[in-house]
Amino acid sequence: MISNNSRIVGAVEIGTGKIAVLVGEIARGRSLNIIGVGVAPARGIMKGEVVDYKAACEATHHALEMAEKRAGVRIEEVWLAQTGGQLDAFYNEASVNVKSADNTVTALDIEAVCQMAKEKELPAGRTGIHQIRRPFQLDGRIVPAPEHLSGRRLEVGYWIVHGPESKVADNIHVVGGYHLEVRELVLASLASGSLLTTPEERSQGVLVIDLGKGVTDFVLYRDGHVLVTGTLPVAGDHLTNDLSIGLRVTAAQAELLKLRHARGTVQTRDKTDKVWLNGDGAFGDRQLSKLAIETIAAARTLELLEVVKLKLGPAFAAEHCGAGIILTGGTSRMPGIEEAATRVFGLPARRGEAPSWVKEELKDPMFSTVLGVFQFGLRGAYEHAVPARRKTGLLSYLTRIFATT
Amino acid sequence: MNPGTDILPPSPGRSWRTIRQEVQPLAMSRQGRRRQMAGWVKAGAVSAFVAGLGWGLYALVHSWATDRAGLATAVHSAPVGRVALITDGVLTQKWAEEMLALPKTASLMALDLPALRDKLLAHGQVRVAVLTRSFPATLVVTLQERTPVARVQADTGVGAAQPLLVAKDGVVYAGLNYDPSMLAGLPWLDGIRLVRAGRGFEPITGMADVSELLSTAQLQAPHLYREWLIVSLARLAETDELLVKTQDIPEIVFTRKRAFFKQVAQLDYIIDRAHALPEPALKSVNLTLEGQVPVVLETAATATVPPKAPPSNFLLQPSQRKAKRDL
Repeated sequence: MISNNSRIVGAVEIGTGKIAVLVGEIARGRSLNIIGVGVAPARGIMKGEVVDYKAACEATHHALEMAEKRAGVRIEEVWLAQTGGQLDAFYNEASVNVKSADNTVTALDIEAVCQMAKEKELPAGRTGIHQIRRPFQLDGRIVPAPEHLSGRRLEVGYWIVHGPESKVADNIHVVGGYHLEVRELVLASLASGSLLTTPEERSQGVLVIDLGKGVTDFVLYRDGHVLVTGTLPVAGDHLTNDLSIGLRVTAAQAELLKLRHARGTVQTRDKTDKVWLNGDGAFGDRQLSKLAIETIAAARTLELLEVVKLKLGPAFAAEHCGAGIILTGGTSRMPGIEEAATRVFGLPARRGEAPSWVKEELKDPMFSTVLGVFQFGLRGAYEHAVPARRKTGLLSYLTRIFATT
Repeated sequence: MNPGTDILPPSPGRSWRTIRQEVQPLAMSRQGRRRQMAGWVKAGAVSAFVAGLGWGLYALVHSWATDRAGLATAVHSAPVGRVALITDGVLTQKWAEEMLALPKTASLMALDLPALRDKLLAHGQVRVAVLTRSFPATLVVTLQERTPVARVQADTGVGAAQPLLVAKDGVVYAGLNYDPSMLAGLPWLDGIRLVRAGRGFEPITGMADVSELLSTAQLQAPHLYREWLIVSLARLAETDELLVKTQDIPEIVFTRKRAFFKQVAQLDYIIDRAHALPEPALKSVNLTLEGQVPVVLETAATATVPPKAPPSNFLLQPSQRKAKRDL
């Protein structure tokens, strides 16, 4: 039974391979009870971006409807995971001289420096998604909370994530086509990172890579803060594409070969080791070299991870990443991908595991982003002031009803 | 600022939150349109519910104001055991009970107080009536009554003309429980036209002036007031004059343009002076002029006192005159 103090939120991920929807009942803004799941194969989406509005709507709405039916309630609002190859970010920092005569940092100093650091204009046609603050520095030393401390110069930097307004609007309108309002937009990498890492790991430093079908998202934490986020329009589909070209098979056959035999690193030594293309013994079925499949997949995987490392640039340093690499997303289920990541980053890598509170059927990596959306949103509700809690009461209820019609 | 706040939505200027989320119906899927329709139905149902609630409240308030007896059945209260009368006049509790004519079984809550108040106000003697419930079973009636200032003969349509009383505000009514000797001392009104209104008459205009004249005379010169028989308003509207007929003087003319206090004092002086004459009968005294007081004596056809130059003390201030007379 849904209590009066709860709200029904749908966490939605519009991915290249699938649309995932979770329906959660959030009571008192903190406790989450997942009551419905909907998954549908994605259509009209390429590299995380809507390219066919009607097809994308049909797929997304099908998943939403399925989740609502299973939950037995109507979703009231949506928290949407945002990804896509065109997302970008930049770092902007600012510094101020501490104003008080005794060099004690005040709230005004903090507000001023934060405001300055966030003020940088976005490029034309771009819209802001997140402003992620890095730790404060007071006279060069990192301080989590500088207020009331003594110092002369206060510095802070913001990692500002932005995307093309039209692409972001497309995703929002796909949800709007189901007559739902997007109340929160959460970067997919932040959502996954929020779910799969613990505060201790984030303090030690950890890199989370979400390998999807069309897009790879990553987030690097250091000293408990988000240091860098990124999105690459390269992921599992490229492995499929390379297999299709290299082995001269169709894309569907290549996808099946990838799921059955691809590996992040080459394990097979015997060149004569063969696998059946379809495995059904039907006319046209043929044998392919397992070594060739593994070689193609491993090369592409290493290349993909190298690109991630390249994109991280100097921000990534193995000595500051004590908790290693966490891999998630559908492509992370490929065997040997941890070894590939270890080889590229020089750090231990493992597949991300959902926390213990997540039900067994939702521990599949394909739900890590939507679960993370909830995790991020709920943590934000009282730690980061995101999202704002809705007002309760009869008047607010009536206002909401008329606002959504 | 909370240092823990390290991930924020972007500033409103260039934020995804500024993106318009509404989608044209044509761009909606079938499921979306169905949801929208359901939303409209829900909004309609809530509107209907709110409207129904509002109408119900209105009906309740309306019923409370107009049909209290109906509501009273739902309210437990005792039958009226006593009517308590508080008045500043002469009306009695028995009269109040007869006027109200409450049914013996009527409960206190069932009483329609505005209707009962109208019943009391229908009697001209009652100026203000306030009815209050004093639980458990007492109806408190508080009255303010009119005081008569004059009498009038009126044809009430039930036979011969009847004497009625006139209050300061011009209301004409049949007085009850007054002291007959007090009533006998009231002057009669003349020169008026009573206009019927319902069972009674329209209030008489100009009674405020009459009342002021009479009360001034009653207070300042009661020995004169006792002699006054008739006050005529015949010339009030046209010339602002009030005519008074006393036992001895057929016509005294007052004007409301001047202070009645002064006019009464002049009259008192003239009467005193007239008594000193060999034939003291005055036929007419005209007090309407500021500097002169034309007086007609019974014996002379058109004598005027003073003929041209009044005595030097003729128009003395009343206080001076009084002092002299006392000497």
